Amino acid sequence: MSNKVAIIASNGGLFDAYKVFNIATASAATDAEVGIFFTFEGLNLIQKEASGQLPLPEGKEHFQEGFKAAQVPSIDELLLMAKDLGVKMIACQMTMDVMNVKKEDLISGIDVGGAVTFLDFAKDANVTLTF
Amino acid sequence: MTNIQTDKVLDAKGLACPMPIVKTKKTINELEPGQVLEIEATDKGSTADLKAWCENTGHQYIGTVHKGNVIHHFVRKGGEEIKEIQHPHLIDNEDLAKKLGSNEQIIILDVREPSEFAFNHIPGAISIPFGELDQRMSNLNKGAEMFVICRTGNRSDLAAQKLTQSGFEKVFNVVPGMTEWKGQTKSLIT
Repeated sequence: MSNKVAIIASNGGLFDAYKVFNIATASAATDAEVGIFFTFEGLNLIQKEASGQLPLPEGKEHFQEGFKAAQVPSIDELLLMAKDLGVKMIACQMTMDVMNVKKEDLISGIDVGGAVTFLDFAKDANVTLTF
Repeated sequence: MTNIQTDKVLDAKGLACPMPIVKTKKTINELEPGQVLEIEATDKGSTADLKAWCENTGHQYIGTVHKGNVIHHFVRKGGEEIKEIQHPHLIDNEDLAKKLGSNEQIIILDVREPSEFAFNHIPGAISIPFGELDQRMSNLNKGAEMFVICRTGNRSDLAAQKLTQSGFEKVFNVVPGMTEWKGQTKSLIT
């Protein structure tokens, strides 16, 4: 089955990161071509500094223990997996300019592009998701 | 581990979604088409996930065994080259079922992998995986009527050719094979 999955990551919390990277790695492992467009707060997910310490939603900090108990992989681990499985990751140039994020602030292996870069990837996707 | 023979065992115990699938994907790349991978997992969602994963990737989901807290999944790697059936003597599933009902003395030789045989097979069938046929065919009676079966008629075709070349006289390939088998079956899984 040929399959293409296009994901927009526009939020920057820990829950958001899991939603994005779980679906992305599971799709890629199921032989789908996967692309993620990181925009606005979604940029946190691929910033060197921020990606390892993403916040839980206010009042939900106790879920930290749940993540440990369920032995859920860390975001860093999922990021590595995603890269390893060939997930295409695109950072939004416009939001980088607005938020003063430099390419050097991002983890390695990220493409930087505009909306059309993502749209070009997504135009024939079978599945499109926004988180 | 179970006592079911496979080509490789992946330890995915303690891993949460999506890691069992991601690891399965990586490990199956190391196998040859037709080989069987056992995945040991504790993630309760892994059974439904692996079934769906197999459907989407062209691998064969064989089955799952629960032992204590550990879930053992069996997957056979897809991508085998399918050749046209060449052995001239064929019998279809329905005619084999009739023969079984008539109490004739017949041999059913199941050439699928041990794990496939373990989950379901025709009662009384002998299990000799295709890869072991050369070493083990000397134990079989060359003069007996022999019905060779696999999942879809492909491996059994190759086995039937091999047996005929080795001097077996009455060899039939059962088509389409276990995928469409409607008769009685037996399982070794308790």
